[in-house]
Amino acid sequence: MDVQPNNQQIQLIKVEKAYGKHNVLSNCNVNIKRGEFVVIVGRSGSGKSTLLNLIGGLDKPTLGEINILGYSLHTLNEEKLSNLRRKYFGFVFQFFNLIPTLTALENIRLPMSLNGISKKDSINGAKLLLKELRLSGLENHFPDELSGGEQQRVAIARALSHRPEIILADEPTGNLDLETANEVLDLLNTTCRRRGTTLIMATHSKEVMGLADQIFSIRDSEIKKAST
Amino acid sequence: MNTLLCVAATRFYLKRPWQLCLAIFGIALGVAVYVGVDLANDSARRAFNVTASLINGSTTHQLVGTANDIPNSLYRDLHLKYGVRFAAPVIEDGVRLASNTRRELTVLGIDPLKETEFRGFSSFIPGSETNLPQLISEPGTALLPESLMSELGLERDDELGLLVGNIEKKIRVIGTVRDISLTAEGATAPIIMDIATAQELFNRTTISRIDLILNDSEAEDLTSLDLPNVLLTDANDRNASFDELARAFQTNLTALSLLALLVGVFLIYATMSFAVVQRRKTFGVLRALGVDRNQLLLVTLSEALIIGAIATLLGVLLGHQLANSLVELVLQTTGDFYFRSNVAPATPSILLYIKGFILGVATTLAAAAAPALDAAHTMPQTAISRAKLERSTRKIADRAALISVPISLAALVLLGFSTKSLYLGFIGLFLVIAASTLLIPTATRVFAKLVEPALERSFGISGSLAARGISASLSRTGVATAALTVAVATVIGIGLMVSSFRISVDEWLSGTLTADIYLSTESENVFSNSRIEELNAIQGVIGTSITRFIRVPTEQGELTIRAQRAGPLGWGLSLIEEFPDAIERMESNEGILVSEPLAFRQGLEPGDKLPLPTKQGKEEFTILGSFKDYNTNGGTILMSLSLYRTYWNDEDINGVGVYLDTNSDRENTISEIRTFLEETPSVRYRSTDFIQEQSLSIFDQTFKITEVLRVLAGLVAFLGLFSALMSIEIEKTREVATLRAMGLDPRQIGILTLSQTSLLGLASGLFAIPLGIIMAILLIYVINVRSFGWSMSLVLSSQPLLFGVLLALTASILAGIYPTVRAIKFNVAPQLRDE
Ligand SMILES: Nc1ncnc2c1ncn2[C@@H]1O[C@H](COP(=O)(O)OP(=O)(O)OP(=O)(O)O)[C@@H](O)[C@H]1O
Ligand SMILES: [Mg+2]
Repeated sequence: MDVQPNNQQIQLIKVEKAYGKHNVLSNCNVNIKRGEFVVIVGRSGSGKSTLLNLIGGLDKPTLGEINILGYSLHTLNEEKLSNLRRKYFGFVFQFFNLIPTLTALENIRLPMSLNGISKKDSINGAKLLLKELRLSGLENHFPDELSGGEQQRVAIARALSHRPEIILADEPTGNLDLETANEVLDLLNTTCRRRGTTLIMATHSKEVMGLADQIFSIRDSEIKKAST
Repeated sequence: MNTLLCVAATRFYLKRPWQLCLAIFGIALGVAVYVGVDLANDSARRAFNVTASLINGSTTHQLVGTANDIPNSLYRDLHLKYGVRFAAPVIEDGVRLASNTRRELTVLGIDPLKETEFRGFSSFIPGSETNLPQLISEPGTALLPESLMSELGLERDDELGLLVGNIEKKIRVIGTVRDISLTAEGATAPIIMDIATAQELFNRTTISRIDLILNDSEAEDLTSLDLPNVLLTDANDRNASFDELARAFQTNLTALSLLALLVGVFLIYATMSFAVVQRRKTFGVLRALGVDRNQLLLVTLSEALIIGAIATLLGVLLGHQLANSLVELVLQTTGDFYFRSNVAPATPSILLYIKGFILGVATTLAAAAAPALDAAHTMPQTAISRAKLERSTRKIADRAALISVPISLAALVLLGFSTKSLYLGFIGLFLVIAASTLLIPTATRVFAKLVEPALERSFGISGSLAARGISASLSRTGVATAALTVAVATVIGIGLMVSSFRISVDEWLSGTLTADIYLSTESENVFSNSRIEELNAIQGVIGTSITRFIRVPTEQGELTIRAQRAGPLGWGLSLIEEFPDAIERMESNEGILVSEPLAFRQGLEPGDKLPLPTKQGKEEFTILGSFKDYNTNGGTILMSLSLYRTYWNDEDINGVGVYLDTNSDRENTISEIRTFLEETPSVRYRSTDFIQEQSLSIFDQTFKITEVLRVLAGLVAFLGLFSALMSIEIEKTREVATLRAMGLDPRQIGILTLSQTSLLGLASGLFAIPLGIIMAILLIYVINVRSFGWSMSLVLSSQPLLFGVLLALTASILAGIYPTVRAIKFNVAPQLRDE
C-alpha cells in the first residue's frame, strides 16, 4: 500500500463508540497532522484507550468515519488492516505486552522481521535501539528477567524499531516510578520529534502536557480540544 | 471450607466451559475403556464357568477313555464289579442346527433315571410339564433350552433338524430345559436327551465318559484298579489348559485397558495442573489475603474430587455401554477358541462398577495431588512468572529423563531374568513405557530446538515463535506429547504385533497344508485301507497323507494326538527346537514331536519323556523336538501312524490329505473325488485354499477386539492432545492479541498456531515409532510367548507405522483448528487490557 502523506494524517469524523447502551464516545471529531505530539487526557474510564484502539484499527466505531493516512478504515478488510498496523503503527501498552518467549533483542526485532527486514539488518537496528535506550547488555534477557522500566523501554524500542508513521502509547508510564517515567517519556518524545513520527499518548502526566502540540480531553463521552 | 473460595473456584470453571468439558470427557473416556474391558472380561469368565459347571453338574470325577470312547460294558461293571455307588454315563457331543449351520450346540446324552438321584438337577432344571422318563420311553426325543425354543419359535412336539457331521437328523421336542442360568449367569443350557437316543443320533455304541461322585478314598481305590484304556480325572482339571489360555487372553485385554487408563491419567494430570497454573496469580493474592496452605490444598483437591467423581460416573456409564459390545467380541474370540457351546453374556457384579468408580476417582486425586501441592505452596503475592515456572519445569523434565535410564535397566533385568511369568512380562512392558514417558518432555524440547532454524527460515520470526512456544510451555506440551506418544505407540505396537502374527500364521498355514484337499470325518470306519487305495487310484491324484486325530486325557488336561503317515510332500513342519534328524527319527518310531505351546507350558525339551495313556497302559515317549503350531487346542502331539497303531491298537483314520498332480486336469480330478465321496456323506471336503481363508478370517475375528481397543486408545490420545493444545492456545490469548496489534494478519496467526500443534503431533508420531517397535518386540517375544506359547517373528511393515504417525498428525492438526479459528476471530482490543 502506498500512502501519500497529506496534511491531515489522522481524521475522526463524527465518530461514536458504544458498548451496548453505554456510550463511551459520541460525536467525536479529531484531526492530527503528521509529526504532531498529541496527548489524550481524561478520568479513568472516560474512553482514552477506546479512542487509541479505534485509531489503531483494533476496534471499530459504532458510527462515523476514521481516516488514517488517506484510508478510511471501514473500507479495509482484516488483512489490509493488519498490513496497515504492521507498516505504519507502533504500539506501546500500559502493561508492556512483551512476548514472554522472546528475548529483549528478539522482541525488538519482531516488527522489523514482520516487515521483511533481513535478519542482519534487524539485528543491527535492534542493537542500535538497545544502545539508545540504554539497554545494552540485556539483549538476551527474557521479559521476566527485566525490571518494569526495562520492560517498558524494550516495548518502546519495539514500537520504534520499524520506523512507523504513528506511535500509539496507552499510559506507557502508568506502571513506572516517577523518575523512570520521565526518562521513558523523554525518550519517546525526542525520538519521535527527531524522526517526525506522530505520537499519540494517553496519560495523566502534567509534564507531558507541556510538551504536546495538541491536547484532547475526554469528558462525559465528549472530546474537547484543550489549549496547550 | 470458605464459601467464597468455593465460589471463586466454581466460577473459574464455569467461565471456561470448554476446558471443563474436555477435562470431564477425557477422564470419562479413560475410565470407560478400563471399566468396559473389565466388565466384558468378567462376564465372559463367568459365562465360561457356568457352562463348564452346567455340563459337569456336581460331578467330582470323570472316567474318560484314553484312546477311544468308553464301551457300554464298563459302566455296567462299575456298578456290579467295583461297587461304585454314584455313576452316570454321559455322551457329550456337538451338533449344528440344520436351519443355521453356523450355530453349534452341545448335546448331553444322560440316563434320566440316574439323573434324579445323581445330579439332583443341580445343573439343569426341566421346564414345567416336562416328563423325564418320557425321554426313555419315546425314542428320538429331546429337551430343548427354553431360550432356543423361543428363538426358533418351536412348540412342544415340534421337530427340529440337527446336523451331525453333514447328515441331517430330526429330533422331537417333548420338553424344555429351563434357562435359569441365562438370566442369572448367562450360559445357554445344553440339549438333553436319553443316552440311547444320543447314541443313535451320533451313530455310536460307546459313551463319552462316566460321571462319578467319589470321595477321596473311593477315588484312590478306583485309581489303584488300573482299569485298561480309561483314565480317572478330576472334573475340575479337565479344562485347565483351556482356562489358562482364556486367562492369558483376558490378561492381555486387561493390560490394554490399563494402558487406556494410563493415557487417561496423563489427561487428568494435564487438566488439573493447567487449572492450577492458570490461577497462580490468584493464589498468590489469596495467600497475601491470609488464606493458608491447607485451605488452598483443600480447595484444589475438592475441585479434583468433584470433577473426578462426575467424570468417573460418566465413565462408568459409558463403560457399561462399551462392555455390552465388547463382551460379544470377547466371547466370540475366547468362545471360538475354547468352547463349542454357545456362551451368552452374563450380568456382571455391581462390585466391578464400584471398583471402576473408586479407581477413577482415586486416579484423579492422585494425578491432581502434585498440582494441588503446587498451588498450596504459592508464595503470597510473589506469583511466580510463567516463564520462571517453565524454566523449573525444564529442569524437572531433564531430571526425569535421567531417571528413565535406571528404569529401563530395571525393565531389562526383569525381562531377562524372568522367562515364564506373564505378570513380570507385563511389569517389564510398563516399566519400558514409563521410562520412555519420562524421556519425552526433554526429547520434545530438543526436537523443537532442532527444527527452529528451519522454521525460522521458512516462516520468519513467527516460525521460530511456533517452535519456541513448545519449549516455553513445556509443562503442558511435555505431558501432551507424552500422552499422545504412548497412545500412538500402543496403536503402532499392537498393529505391528497383529500384522506380524497374521503373516506368521499365513506362512505357517501355507507350510503346513501341503496337500491340496483335506477330507475329514468324525464317524468311525469311514476310511478303510481299500477306500484309500481307491482314492489313490483316481486319475490325477499323486498320493495321500493319512491321519488319526484323538483327544487323550492327561493329568495336565486334554491333549490332541495327531498320528500321521506323511504324503508325498512330507510333513510340512517347521521345527523350533529339535534333535538332529528329528523327523526321520519320528518316522522310525523313536519318539514324538510336541507343539510349541505344549512344550512351553510344560517346559518340555528334546530328550524329555512325556507319559501318555495308551491302550497298553501308561507309556513314556521320547520328545524329539517341538514344532510351530498356532492351533488353540491346548497342545498337540505328533507321532508316526505306525507308532500310534502299535500302542493304541486303533486302525481307524479320520483325516486324509489328497495331493494332486499339477499337470493333470484339476477340475476333472476334483469332480471324480467328489463322486467318490458320495458314498460317505459324513466326510467333510475342504480345499486347502478354503482352510487357509477360513483360518485367516477366524484370526481376523479374534483380533477384532484389539482393533477396537486400538481405536479407543487413539481417541483418548486425540482428546488428550486436543485439550492440552486448547489450553496452551487459550492461555496465549494475550500474546496473540499483541501480535495482532503489531500487524500479524489472521493467516499468519493461523500458520503460527497450526504449525505449533502439528509440530507437537509430528514429534509424538516420530517418538512413537521407536517406542511402538519396542512395544511390538515385547508383545511378540515376551507377552505372546508367555501367554500362548506361540513364537513368531517381528515383521516391520510400514502400514502400522504410517498409520500411527498419521493418527498423531491428524489429531494434532484437528486439535489446532479450533484454537486457530478462535485466534483469528477474537476481538483484539479487549484482550490487550490487563488480565
Ligand atoms: N469490552 C467492553 N465492554 C463493555 N464496556 C467496555 C469495554 N471496554 C471498555 N468498556 C467501557 O468503556 C469505558 C471506557 O474504557 P477505556 O478503557 O477506554 O477507559 P480509559 O479512559 O482508558 O480508562 P483508564 O484510564 O482507566 O485506562 C469504560 O467505562 C469501560 O467500562
Ligand atoms: Mg485505559
